[in-house]
Amino acid sequence: MMNEATKTMITETRDLARKNGIKASIHFHHENSHLMRIGNNSVSLNTSEELTRIDIEVIDGMKKGTHTHLGEISSVDELFKMVQMVSVKAGKSAAMDYKPVLTVIEGNLEIESQYDAGLESLNPSVKEQVYSAIFRDVGEDYNYSGSWSSGSTETFSVTTANDNSVWHKLTDQQFMCVLKHPEKMWELASWQTGWKADDVKADFTIDEFKNILPVYETTEGFEVEPGKYKVVLGSQAISDLIGMTVWTGCAGRTWEMKMGWTADNKIGDDILHPSVTVFDDPTNENIFSEPLSDSGMLTKTLPMIDKGKFAGLLYDRNTASKYDKEATANAGCLAMQPGDGDPDFLKAVKDQGRVLYIPAIHYMNMPNMSKGIFTGSSRFSAVLIEDGKIVSPIFSSRITDQFANIFGNVLSISSETISVNTSNTYGRRAPGAVSVPTWILVDGVKITDCAESF
Amino acid sequence: MSIFNDLKEAVTRNIGRVMDAGAQYSDVRWYEDDSSEMLMLLDGNLEGNDTTVESGLGVRVLYGGAWGFAATSQIVNVDTCFDRALANAVSASKLVKVKLDMGTMDGHTGSYTSPFKIDPIDVSLSEKVDFLKGVDDSLTEDWILRRMLRVQLQRMIIHFWSSEGTYTQKKLINTFAHMTVMALDSDRQMQRRSKSLFCETGGTRGWEMLTKPALWSGHAERVKKELKEVLVAPELEYGKRSVILLPGQGHLQVHETIGHPLELDRILGYELSYAGGSFVNLDSFGKLKYGSDKLSVSAYGSIVNSPGTFGFDAEGTPERDYLLIDKGILVDCLTSRAMISEANQRAGRKVFTESGGASRSTAFYRAPIDRMTNVNILPGDDGTLKDIIATTEDGIIVDNPTSWSIGSNREHFHFGCEIAWEVKNGEITRVLRNPSYQGHTVEFYNNLSAVGDESSWVVEQVENCGKGEPNQVMELGHGLPVIKFDNVISGERK
Repeated sequence: MMNEATKTMITETRDLARKNGIKASIHFHHENSHLMRIGNNSVSLNTSEELTRIDIEVIDGMKKGTHTHLGEISSVDELFKMVQMVSVKAGKSAAMDYKPVLTVIEGNLEIESQYDAGLESLNPSVKEQVYSAIFRDVGEDYNYSGSWSSGSTETFSVTTANDNSVWHKLTDQQFMCVLKHPEKMWELASWQTGWKADDVKADFTIDEFKNILPVYETTEGFEVEPGKYKVVLGSQAISDLIGMTVWTGCAGRTWEMKMGWTADNKIGDDILHPSVTVFDDPTNENIFSEPLSDSGMLTKTLPMIDKGKFAGLLYDRNTASKYDKEATANAGCLAMQPGDGDPDFLKAVKDQGRVLYIPAIHYMNMPNMSKGIFTGSSRFSAVLIEDGKIVSPIFSSRITDQFANIFGNVLSISSETISVNTSNTYGRRAPGAVSVPTWILVDGVKITDCAESF
Repeated sequence: MSIFNDLKEAVTRNIGRVMDAGAQYSDVRWYEDDSSEMLMLLDGNLEGNDTTVESGLGVRVLYGGAWGFAATSQIVNVDTCFDRALANAVSASKLVKVKLDMGTMDGHTGSYTSPFKIDPIDVSLSEKVDFLKGVDDSLTEDWILRRMLRVQLQRMIIHFWSSEGTYTQKKLINTFAHMTVMALDSDRQMQRRSKSLFCETGGTRGWEMLTKPALWSGHAERVKKELKEVLVAPELEYGKRSVILLPGQGHLQVHETIGHPLELDRILGYELSYAGGSFVNLDSFGKLKYGSDKLSVSAYGSIVNSPGTFGFDAEGTPERDYLLIDKGILVDCLTSRAMISEANQRAGRKVFTESGGASRSTAFYRAPIDRMTNVNILPGDDGTLKDIIATTEDGIIVDNPTSWSIGSNREHFHFGCEIAWEVKNGEITRVLRNPSYQGHTVEFYNNLSAVGDESSWVVEQVENCGKGEPNQVMELGHGLPVIKFDNVISGERK
């Protein structure tokens, strides 16, 4: 927990930097993380990390430098020496052909609207009990694995541009459980997310597994021949796809560099199906809040794709400076809007004949960003559906297609949305989530390969 | 007293304390210094000028057959960190089906230092920037739209203590560099060509490695020339043909479809919720025909100057040179100590005899897991690249990945590459763009038809292998020659 003395130390260091003519931003990041990992029906890792980082950026005319220190800093003198070191580094750097921009924090904020002390201090035994309940209720003969990350992230940001500061504290958790048949080798998965201690419930996962298990237990795997199929994509798959679609199509830097699949498009062009709308929406309750953009603006809802039209590009402060554009108040909070389809996808596809249901895409990558070509394979709970009835599980199948085809050939979209946790724990704790429909039905999806196994 | 002596006393006392409390085993890693620097020059602008310094303590406790781990960046809190690791282990032990066991290892001491002449962290920023500016100048052409140079430098000083009485100390130096040039082709698709810094046989790992033209900067003219050829090249048509992988591409093929599936924690199912599993099982060892007779693969490989060479792993086990695949037959895997006892217990026989020294961790605040060290294809007897081309009727040569996507059990894969050269009747006929190929791992390696000799064997560096939860990035190397596979589906289906 950050104390007032630490805040004072940081603001006093900021003032000292300003007095010495140094243009700097100082960002404090403290995490209190816990992760329980499950493998072979056992706790395979139970880990706690309490880490404090200080990020310093200094702008010196056309030059810049950054430094991160992981460890305790206890005095203004110590922290200011670090700022001076970065200042020297920036001074010795090479001048750029545009002016790097110092973050200007717009307002004084103290935010903890998504903070739950109960989750921050969640006893690991609670996690052990939830997993135990799942094993017991669904069946001890299956092989279970999973992970459950939870914790708090506390940040405090100041810059020499003004006297404003932002303090933000939130909690988050990401739960996953994988059920694998020990002989038949198929895998089912269940995900949950949230920021409150009681957001994860054993019953949710138990019900998910019990609903799909009968099909998996009673039918053999189906090998999908390469070709074009109607495909229902589930929320995990939509999350990955829409994330890559907008970050390679609607990020200002990518567009300016002519790297992405929208390089030859302009704002207002029809680029996707009219039923597809995507916002950067920090107000969406499904998504972890982010109060400031990288330029220091208070974040707000921004359109990126509006009814299939190219509606907006997002610019960070330095890209905006380089390309002479205005920085945008984006939060990185993706929200794809729902449609009017029945929340039960089986009802929604009952007149569609043969359909593949692919809830998650494993290891997606982009062989050709200019054409928006992606590839990845089905995993977890993927099934063949005929006339609205689940017929059999499908073997690991590869999709290789274009974003413009996937989101250009949408037949229907669920009327319900769900939060998908997109946090990773590389480096520091950085909670992230997107809000997406629970399913979308797409025509003509290219399956390019299929294994003879799950 | 010095920080080291204070810490050693506190660590020794706390190891005794948790062992007295019933722990089976405990170890501690203290990162005295974990410094890194990233410089990125994009179109001549120094967009990345970042340094990071980390220091702290990671404690593991094995209690009741279960791991507990805790880390702190405050080394004054050693007692608290041990308390938390022990509490986590006790809590974990309530839900354990197969009790983990470390086996036995005699306590020992040792030290290791990466071979280097100039510590890259100590080189002045001005010298680094001047060097990169020089390389950037050599890449600059009117027709090139994007130039990117990225350098990553690392210095780690790590101390390790265990309840068995082992103490090791190591100083690791790593130098990575990548150059990429990009331009729009005749269809306005962005094409790229790149070159990464690689290791010379018997070389070093310091700043001097980066400034040796033969290993990196001297490739600038070739990289530009090949990009120019790609821009006007026809697209690779879909079909089955031979595919010759240059080391720039082959190392990622080996990494994804030999290295990862042979990590024992993946085989035992401990990565299912994130990275995935493996098509290999405990019955596969000694039986599975992983590839043709031409395929022999080693771990570590006694390579002195690779990022996958580190002296002692994160359990204090010395690195060990051994075969993973012997003339096509799967014989061993990448292991840590605890995974071996579980595997043997499950198999009901002694599948593995000793740790592969492959327990690694990305930082003090991450628990060690099974990782690759150096995973290498041994040189073959099919001659030079020229010799292999001469024996190819219909094929392509490919280099450097643009994308990689692998099935969750590593049973199938799809790779996109920067460039292809068409080979017809033993000769290179033209350059092709947007090459890709896909396959099923075991079938693919059984179609391995040629392995180059020492003349094409190099050690490629990997600086960003991701695995584990919490996520961990790891550095490693792959030594390999030119390799040829037959009957490979390549190009994209229309």
